[in-house]
Amino acid sequence: MLLRHRPLGRAGGAGVGILLVIVLAAALIPFRDNTSTATDALALVLPVVAAAWAGGRLAALVTAGAAATTLEVMFLPPFNTFKLDFFDDAVALGVFTIVALSVGTLVALEAERGQVAEQRAAEIESLYRERRTMEEEQQRLAAEKRALELVGDYRSALLRSVSHDLRTPLSTIRAVTSDLRDGTVYDADTRNELLDLVGDEADRLDRLVANLLSLSRIEAGSLAPERQAVPLDELFTDRVRKLNRVLMDARVQVDVPFTLPLADADYTLIDQVLTNLLENAARHSPPGGTIRVRAREHEGSIEVTVSDQGPGIDPADDARIFEPFTKGKGSSSSGVGLTICRAIVEAHGGSISVHSSDAGGAHFVFTLPVHRA
Amino acid sequence: MAEDLVLVVEDTEAIARALRAALQARGYRVSVALSGAAGLDAAATEDPAAIILDLGLPDIDGVEICQRIRSWSDVPIIVLTADGTEHRKVEALDGGADDYVTKPFSTPELLARLRVALRRRRSVEGEAVDPVLHVGDLVVDVPHHRVTVAGIDVDLTPKEFAFLVFLARHPGRVLTHRSILQAVWGPEYGSETQYLRVYASQIRKKLGEDPTAPRLITEPGVGYRLVERAGAG
Repeated sequence: MLLRHRPLGRAGGAGVGILLVIVLAAALIPFRDNTSTATDALALVLPVVAAAWAGGRLAALVTAGAAATTLEVMFLPPFNTFKLDFFDDAVALGVFTIVALSVGTLVALEAERGQVAEQRAAEIESLYRERRTMEEEQQRLAAEKRALELVGDYRSALLRSVSHDLRTPLSTIRAVTSDLRDGTVYDADTRNELLDLVGDEADRLDRLVANLLSLSRIEAGSLAPERQAVPLDELFTDRVRKLNRVLMDARVQVDVPFTLPLADADYTLIDQVLTNLLENAARHSPPGGTIRVRAREHEGSIEVTVSDQGPGIDPADDARIFEPFTKGKGSSSSGVGLTICRAIVEAHGGSISVHSSDAGGAHFVFTLPVHRA
Repeated sequence: MAEDLVLVVEDTEAIARALRAALQARGYRVSVALSGAAGLDAAATEDPAAIILDLGLPDIDGVEICQRIRSWSDVPIIVLTADGTEHRKVEALDGGADDYVTKPFSTPELLARLRVALRRRRSVEGEAVDPVLHVGDLVVDVPHHRVTVAGIDVDLTPKEFAFLVFLARHPGRVLTHRSILQAVWGPEYGSETQYLRVYASQIRKKLGEDPTAPRLITEPGVGYRLVERAGAG
């Protein structure tokens, strides 16, 4: 327990001392004829000790004075006067005064020292606590800094990726249009090919902008699917038809049983998931390879698989591939498409994963809830 | 000219196809490589007359491709840069590229650069280095230390003269600050681009440059280029 230095203060200590002197004196006076001077003197040292502990050296000094006076007046004959009959009593009074002062001083000093030591211990403890708090603060700041750096990294990765992805289709469009503007004469086939290139790249820009809008909605936390009953066979067929130029080097099979229940999903968002997965498959598919889009009812939900015959995905990258700006080796993708797929599927309460089959090729599997009428 | 083979090293297929069409329409033969490795192979085996090289290839850095091709060939290389940062262009030019075009680029501009590069290659192949350099109506007589514009003498200091000679030896080609400083001031120079600004402005003044159609063109952040003045010579 922590003891305050001079717990009652100087005046309080002296008061207690004097009070004790009075009480003791009152208790001993009836017996003063039968007790020895030593007994009375020893008893009167006690208030000095108490005053020293409670009020410090000055309180001890005052109490010692009061005790010496009380001893002289009340307990040394002749009683009730300041006179002394015997030389022995004068010596006893002198010794008492010296002893009382010494004991009082020693007790007060000891109390002070103990108190200082306790104070030091308390100071050390509070310093230690402060240091701990500072260390915790430092760790918190470091963590905040790391988080901010991550956000910064994310932002710059997004900017880098977006500026590259926007510029690539623009480069083709500008190259072709500036060439045609220059009056270059082309045969009909080449001209059509060039115009298709411009159209394709414009479509690609459109898809990229759609992805960026979704990404900003995901970041803002405002990606809320507007659910309706979605016939997946229609959605798949329509999307494959719209992507015919992207998918022209591959064979696409849509495998959706007639009996498949309707999905409870946001048509536009699921269309975007399929677009991104098909674009991804086309990017990694060998020329003439087969891309399969398959849907089945499985354990009360709908499971959709998009598979290609490309090189597949390194198992180490299975989870990483859905992180933003993660690209496969040598891939020209923006690295946001699959991130968006995951966010959309999860916003529907489903899950998405990827695995490579033994025969090679990547299989993206996602689930959607069944629409309950 | 009509049968020159141009190698296009570009990983974006759409751009490669657009370039192939544009080049073929102008009578060039075209070979396309969709990766850096394929580009290096084609550069070594097909003996192209010029190479159009995208700097941002996924497999090998474009600057490294420049350096590797330069280790065995003087074929003109025009790089396509996408990032717009000057240091990539300078790296490519210092790495041996002859010129650069920034994406999104205009096809006629790229083809104009290509023609300049091909012409330069022919002139280098055709004859020994001519001591008298002609760039349009600008004539630099190196041994006699004499410069004329449309026949009128121009008085240049030795450093101005050396600067102009270096540019005139590579007409139409962008030369980096570093290469000019090292050629004119010495190998220990390289970053003192402020010298070049001062000398370029002196030379322009003395040549009586028309600011709307200059011969000495500043390529901001990259270097300088000496061209025939539009409508002259």
